Amino acid sequence: MSESLPQGAKPFDFTGNAKEWFGIWIVNLLLSIVTIGIYSAWAKVRTKKYFYNHTYVEGRNFDYHATGKQILIGRLIVIGAVIVFQIITAVLPILGLLLLIGLLFIFPWLIVRSMIFNARMSSFSNVRFGFVGTVGQAFLTFIVYPILTALTLYTTFPILDRAVKRFSIDNHKLGQARFNMEVGLGPFYKAFLVAIAWIIVVGLVGVVVTGFSFNEFAYAMDNADRAPEQAMKVMGLFYLLFFVAFLPAAFLYQALVRNAVYNNTTLEGGHAFASNVTAPQLLWLAVTNMIVVVFTLFLMLPWAQVRMARYLAAHTGFIPGGSMDDFVTQQQEAGGALGDAYTDLEGIDVGLPI
Amino acid sequence: MMGDAPQLRGLRGHAYAARSSYRQPARLLTREGGEDLWVDIQNDERAVLASAYLSDLRVDPPLGTAPRKVTFPDGAVFETTDHDAIEALTGKTRGSLLHHYESFNARLIGVVAVCLAAAWVMWRYGLDIMASVAIAFTPPAVIEQIDVGTLQTIDFTMAEPSRLTDAQKADVNKVYRRLVQSLPQDVQDEHSFQLLFRDMPGMGPNAFALPGGTMVMTDAFVKDFPDANVMAGVLGHEIGHVVEQHGLKRIYRSLSMYILIAFLAGDVGPILEDVVLEGNVLLSLSFSRAQETSADEFGLSLSDASGFDPAGLKLFFEKLDEEYGDQEPPQWQSTHPSSAERVKAIDAYIDRL
Repeated sequence: MSESLPQGAKPFDFTGNAKEWFGIWIVNLLLSIVTIGIYSAWAKVRTKKYFYNHTYVEGRNFDYHATGKQILIGRLIVIGAVIVFQIITAVLPILGLLLLIGLLFIFPWLIVRSMIFNARMSSFSNVRFGFVGTVGQAFLTFIVYPILTALTLYTTFPILDRAVKRFSIDNHKLGQARFNMEVGLGPFYKAFLVAIAWIIVVGLVGVVVTGFSFNEFAYAMDNADRAPEQAMKVMGLFYLLFFVAFLPAAFLYQALVRNAVYNNTTLEGGHAFASNVTAPQLLWLAVTNMIVVVFTLFLMLPWAQVRMARYLAAHTGFIPGGSMDDFVTQQQEAGGALGDAYTDLEGIDVGLPI
Repeated sequence: MMGDAPQLRGLRGHAYAARSSYRQPARLLTREGGEDLWVDIQNDERAVLASAYLSDLRVDPPLGTAPRKVTFPDGAVFETTDHDAIEALTGKTRGSLLHHYESFNARLIGVVAVCLAAAWVMWRYGLDIMASVAIAFTPPAVIEQIDVGTLQTIDFTMAEPSRLTDAQKADVNKVYRRLVQSLPQDVQDEHSFQLLFRDMPGMGPNAFALPGGTMVMTDAFVKDFPDANVMAGVLGHEIGHVVEQHGLKRIYRSLSMYILIAFLAGDVGPILEDVVLEGNVLLSLSFSRAQETSADEFGLSLSDASGFDPAGLKLFFEKLDEEYGDQEPPQWQSTHPSSAERVKAIDAYIDRL
């Protein structure tokens, strides 16, 4: 199952360790609590810096350059805007509705700002990343495509997913060198169909073996007040089926897509990437991480994060096509951390896909 | 500090030219330059790549064992893993103290204890405060929308139009209005109290409230419990949920918890993220039981104040206990206290009324 990285590929190396990261993480946590969340901006910087600094390729590491102050200002502006928005909706509902429509157009702008900020604040081997995506592209990728995808009942989800990855990768630069992802729809649809096949086969087998029925489920849920034992049983069964049918499917899709994307991404200058993660390994890591973290009251979370980072790094390769000494930072304004704060709040991940 | 200078000869590391990925082995050398220390980066061919006064250098704060970076005014960077030598050169820098406290040792046990205690306090009190603030900021239109949406889902999935006669509905509504009118005027204005009837074969005799004030009663309830006192008890209980905003509080508590974990603990990784969001259900069970007890008490005083017999609610639970008592799970797994438990609590409360 586990193919090795192609010849000539140098694996990424994550050198962080759980013990050291635990100390930083727990102090981050304490200071964030004591300062009612204000320190969390600095904590974010220390977290990103720790993981970037400890990720090496060919003896060179990544770095993160944003300051806690920048992040805090961005967050304060976003929180302020949310409060103002809530007050307006409460006082003048119609104006609120107009603002909501306006947000539809501000959203792509915020995403682009966030990606520019994150790229500019990240570096590899002393050279800053850059992002050149436009708001128009973001509007297509994050507003128009999702609507079209919903209209096709998500049968075109692989097209949307490829568009999102393309938007992110093709618009990133290391210094002046552009990244380029050259993947057809084939691998995306293949991953999608494999995942769907898993859900159908395992779901059918599961329903037949356990005798689960949705009517019974709905009925038991309605009567949860008076027959909670029955409800618990059916709910447990539902979660079990959900776990064995949907979770592995999601990991199958992610693993196949990640490999396809990395194996077909190049960096100007003749460099290329490789990835050989597998769904069973990813699933095993995620499930065991979850169990350990929950049963240690989250205290083992740093260990779980390091474990995952190590696995991903070891299964990602860089194929140098020449000297790594020739990248030069390109001047580009980073702008403020406003977009970054917004994507943080919304839980949108726009960081470098390392 | 200047006395240390001789030992610093040959502080080994790598150098980068400004804004370039060109990386070469280099040394940091120091010599006296008047008041300040003069620092050079020299490569292996002894060429000076950059130089500046020590006080003009930007030294990144220490972070675990990650390489330390020293940035020169012209943008050249010197990087080294020789942490002791860098500290000897720069002395205590910004972030040294933080770094000291972050190191893995016995002191961290205290930090862990404080964090766990703080997490507990936050779960016990902080979430309620966050939820109350969020409720204060939620426009009434949104809450009404929650009611409309939920009702549509219920109508679509499990409810039929009511088969009750208008007279039957009017009887229940009379009880309901009497209860609502006993509420203080400002509370009456705050929520849109509205009682709806539905035929829900799967739910048996039941009544429930949505966050905005919409209440639904099943046909089976009206048929099984025509007694006005029982009705008043159960409706009073549901009005209690609405007035004390239990539904909204639960929604916001789950959300607040999710946001807190995301912002404080950081990325929890796949699966666990879903578990945190959904797993709240389990954690909020005891919270939910407290809400039920609180709504019981609210309903009892409201029935009493509107001139009904508060023992009506007791009759309801006694009958439930007769029918389902042997199937009830231990209290800790259930969102509701067991019926027998509630009858006892109701008796105690009525005594105090």
